[in-house]
Amino acid sequence: MSERFVVPRRAFLRGLNLAIGGLALGIVFPAEAQKPPSEPAKPPAPATPSGSQAADEPGLRPNVFVHVAPDGTVTIVCHRSEMGQGIRSSLPVLIADELGAQMSRVKIVQADGDKAYGDQNTDGSNSIRGIHENMRKMGAAARMMLVAAAAKRWKVRPEDCVAKDHAVTHVPTGRSLGFGELALEAAKEKVPDPKDVVLRPWSELPNVGKDLPLLDGPAYVTGQAVFGADVKLPGMLTAVIARPPVVGGKVVRFDAKRALAVPGVRHVVEMPTPEPPWRFQPWGGIAVVADHTWAAMRGRAALDVTWDHGPNATYDSDRYREQLSKSVSVPGQVARKLGDVEAALKSAARIVEAEYHVPHLPHLPMEPPVAVAHVQGDRCEIWAPTQNPQAAQTEVGRALGIEPEKVRVHVTFLGGGFGRKSKPDFCAEAALLSKKLGVPVRVQFTRADDVRHDYVNTVSVNRLTAGLDANGRVTAWRHRTAFPSIASTFAESERPGYDDLQQGVLDLALAVPNVSAEIGDARSHTRIGWLRSVYNIFQAFSIGSFIDEIAQAKNADPLDVWLELIGPPRQLSLADLGIERLKNYGQPLDKHPVDAGRLRNVIERVARAARWDRRKQEGRALGLAAHRSFLSYTAVVASAVKRPDGKIWIDEMWMAFDAGTIVNADRVRSQLEGSAIFGMSLALFGGITMKGGAIEQDNFRGGGRIVRIREAPRRIHVDVVESTALPGGVGEPGVPPVAPAIANAVFALTGKRVRELPLVKSVEV
Amino acid sequence: MRLGVAMVALSSLAWACNHAKRPAELPPVAKNQLRSVADFSVIADEEERSRALFLEASRVFLHPRCANCHPSGDVPLQGMDMRPHEPPVTRGPEGFGEVGMECGGCHQDRNLELARVPGAPSWHLAPREMGWVGKSPREICEQLKDPKRNGGKTLAQIVEHNMHDPLVAWGWRPGHDREPVPGTQQDFGALVAAWVETGAHCPTDGGKP
Amino acid sequence: MSIVVRVNGKEHRLDVDPEMPLLWVLRDVLGLTGTKYGCGEALCGACTVHLDGRVVRSCVTPISRAAGKEVTTIEGLSPDGSHPLQKAWVELGVPQCGFCQAGQIMTAAALLKKHPNPTDEQIDSSMAGNLCRCGTYGRIREAIKKAAGGAR
Repeated sequence: MSERFVVPRRAFLRGLNLAIGGLALGIVFPAEAQKPPSEPAKPPAPATPSGSQAADEPGLRPNVFVHVAPDGTVTIVCHRSEMGQGIRSSLPVLIADELGAQMSRVKIVQADGDKAYGDQNTDGSNSIRGIHENMRKMGAAARMMLVAAAAKRWKVRPEDCVAKDHAVTHVPTGRSLGFGELALEAAKEKVPDPKDVVLRPWSELPNVGKDLPLLDGPAYVTGQAVFGADVKLPGMLTAVIARPPVVGGKVVRFDAKRALAVPGVRHVVEMPTPEPPWRFQPWGGIAVVADHTWAAMRGRAALDVTWDHGPNATYDSDRYREQLSKSVSVPGQVARKLGDVEAALKSAARIVEAEYHVPHLPHLPMEPPVAVAHVQGDRCEIWAPTQNPQAAQTEVGRALGIEPEKVRVHVTFLGGGFGRKSKPDFCAEAALLSKKLGVPVRVQFTRADDVRHDYVNTVSVNRLTAGLDANGRVTAWRHRTAFPSIASTFAESERPGYDDLQQGVLDLALAVPNVSAEIGDARSHTRIGWLRSVYNIFQAFSIGSFIDEIAQAKNADPLDVWLELIGPPRQLSLADLGIERLKNYGQPLDKHPVDAGRLRNVIERVARAARWDRRKQEGRALGLAAHRSFLSYTAVVASAVKRPDGKIWIDEMWMAFDAGTIVNADRVRSQLEGSAIFGMSLALFGGITMKGGAIEQDNFRGGGRIVRIREAPRRIHVDVVESTALPGGVGEPGVPPVAPAIANAVFALTGKRVRELPLVKSVEV
Repeated sequence: MRLGVAMVALSSLAWACNHAKRPAELPPVAKNQLRSVADFSVIADEEERSRALFLEASRVFLHPRCANCHPSGDVPLQGMDMRPHEPPVTRGPEGFGEVGMECGGCHQDRNLELARVPGAPSWHLAPREMGWVGKSPREICEQLKDPKRNGGKTLAQIVEHNMHDPLVAWGWRPGHDREPVPGTQQDFGALVAAWVETGAHCPTDGGKP
Repeated sequence: MSIVVRVNGKEHRLDVDPEMPLLWVLRDVLGLTGTKYGCGEALCGACTVHLDGRVVRSCVTPISRAAGKEVTTIEGLSPDGSHPLQKAWVELGVPQCGFCQAGQIMTAAALLKKHPNPTDEQIDSSMAGNLCRCGTYGRIREAIKKAAGGAR
């Protein structure tokens, strides 16, 4: 364990000379250099993939993110996890562009978990939108030091120098020095104070907004990219764990004899039983530890365990749905109020009312959770596909009873995350076993483990009621929502919190005089987590379906009704929304307003692209939905057709997306294409059910089924709005409007209104 | 006299059809068992006995364990509810799947308990002309006897296939928690052999096991 | 007792449980980790390799079945990542998380051998066993066609 791992906690940018002590470099992925395809691929994962770059390497290191070597190589640390969003191909570009570096001479290194980087939680579609400015400052600080060094050498004013194309140029004379030539001198310059760091205008960042190459593409297609399960340490054993089938269950007794008889099985270990709240704790159970994965799997199958299923053993998701239904059939705690919705409903000429249900949803990352731990003395080293290495440090530290700083977490590639890998329960399991057995241990979740021991997205029932006047105008809008909250995983919780409604309920732009949103009771009986776009999934499904139902009731075009309900382009204040506060995904409302104009714009654009107005003449069945989430705006049109076998196929989809300023256009499009498929999977097939408290699904079938290539639309058209607004989220906001657009398209095709997901329960898809 | 017996037989068959039941004289049988050939000796008329033997054997032919891989379309079925095979596969040119999705890409020559994948030697789909799904015992019987639709087999070869083919045998040892077809392969082979010996007569329209 | 298998042209003599799936031999015994574990039940295709040129899901293929045969994994598809599919995959930016892509490419390689210019229907049929949770299917189709065009 290296000394330099111990990082003094300092203010983020001010700890600039952390240089020596601070840089805890992570795995250098074998293909991190964009090597041309002709260069032979390097051998598979090194036995111990740890940081290969010494922190005391000479050169300019103004902060923990940037290093300029005397040979001109610029190393940029990516401190967010790569899980398919292309962050390693995007975030470092902001630093490089601010610096003036050429991407071909930039090396990208993956960070270990370390507070020195600030928050590393790769979650909430937050990497670009949340920290773009800080990242740019890291590059700008380095640039200013290089410029200062050049100006000093030339004895000119720094203002007359520019940093561009990996060199500093004195504009009046045209003299130029490469970054490498300046690195050592620049290192002696004073690190600028954050408030003095001057950023370039966005328009002068040469790569930002372009289609940037996929940095790790060559590694992915040659099998060289190191994912969690690909890490192999000398003497490592592999564990497969029999966990309690019901949340809160525990082992009564077990017989390890048959498991131990399986060749290759070394140990059978009882795991500590967690106490509520569940948080990120391991589940407990019995671990079978073996020389290799196959023996561990066979050994677990041979285990004989008797469980006490605990207090949640009667949980039945079907019955629970009825309970949620009751919750929204009575007035709830008011979270949003404009005018007098009850009076308006009483005097309405017509009422439209509908109830929507979305079940628990699984994450199903292609790579099931896995972690390697090596505990030595009072220290622990972890290799894992984690979205949140610092949470892993904390949870592993808690499990082992050591300081989080004594846990070093190396972040591998993630074979998908979607929120599941924000929870480091699997890291703590590996650490507990390594401590107990004194050797490195890999914990491998099987697919069944992944499904049955997921932190499922919550289950919900929403009841929406609209009052229409004699002219068909909506005068009242009431939204009652009930769902167990994520907070229930961390503390007792009887119902969603006010801020939980920020996801699509409080921030819904409505041109309706009487509005209320009410929270219904909903206690949790399982372990709830967050899944890509979280509560937005069911709020968008409910609202997006309901607007289509209002259009149906009025016999109006859904497009017109969407625009009418959203109202004219405007930015809505808290008072306009009728709410007391809006968490707004952690950003102030003045920087990221609720902008009805932007929502309208994506709707209008997607309608044009899909030839919405000609759909009837052309005999096409289209469905429309739109949603604001993660400070971005997405509108979707889905086309539904009947296949020769009678099944419904979503054959084409159009998406219009406004995320403000974007960094990597190609990765933004790919996230939207992926969101379309992700949204389709949950709309058509996804649904976790529980009987006797236990999850009934166990693999990519039934409620764990996801879209295959045959079911994927023939075309997904993505239209990204060019914008200079501040960056919004990208990874998640594409998902929410997909399910309602599909359900509305199914209605257009069949006349059947489906108010519950997955659609496969109601129609042939 | 012969005519008289035939008429009685016909009327009792008609009774069987109307009541979706066996003629009263056959002994009852458990869902997971097959009647033995001897049980059919109560049917005096050979032709009728032949029909009854086939109906008994069709409890195997039509069982999802067998019929799932004798689909009438291009997609095999799965499970007792006979839903389309997941992942989606099609028969391909030879009944062994399409490139990239060949039966043998997943199915081994034996069942895999941990992975729950069923297997037997030469796992594949019966040709389309041998499809059974959605067909009546009479239709299956006729197609079984038709060399153009039975792979050019003689009746003797059909008996042999049913009695000893290892892929057919899988039906009785389907593995995991799958419900096997009734009886044993031996019982089944004997029924088919007895059916052939009694003239290989096909059940009448509407005849059900 | 030992099982002789050729993997990517190299002969290996293995003393393992003959029931051990090829996947775990590749990953845990031979250290070839490009082939991935995704479901263990032949539902997702992340473990796809070629056995004597044919697509098999290695998670359900007992190593005994590979005895005397040639196994090709993603590491052996081309010596340097230069297979037309690998090139097309990078050029079109197909991968997102990348986890399923080795399996996708291995299936696609078998498809192109059989159908050098596959139709959409052939692509959908052959690739139906390979799941991608990130939803890269559209680009997979494009990349297969691009690689096919390049091979023409």
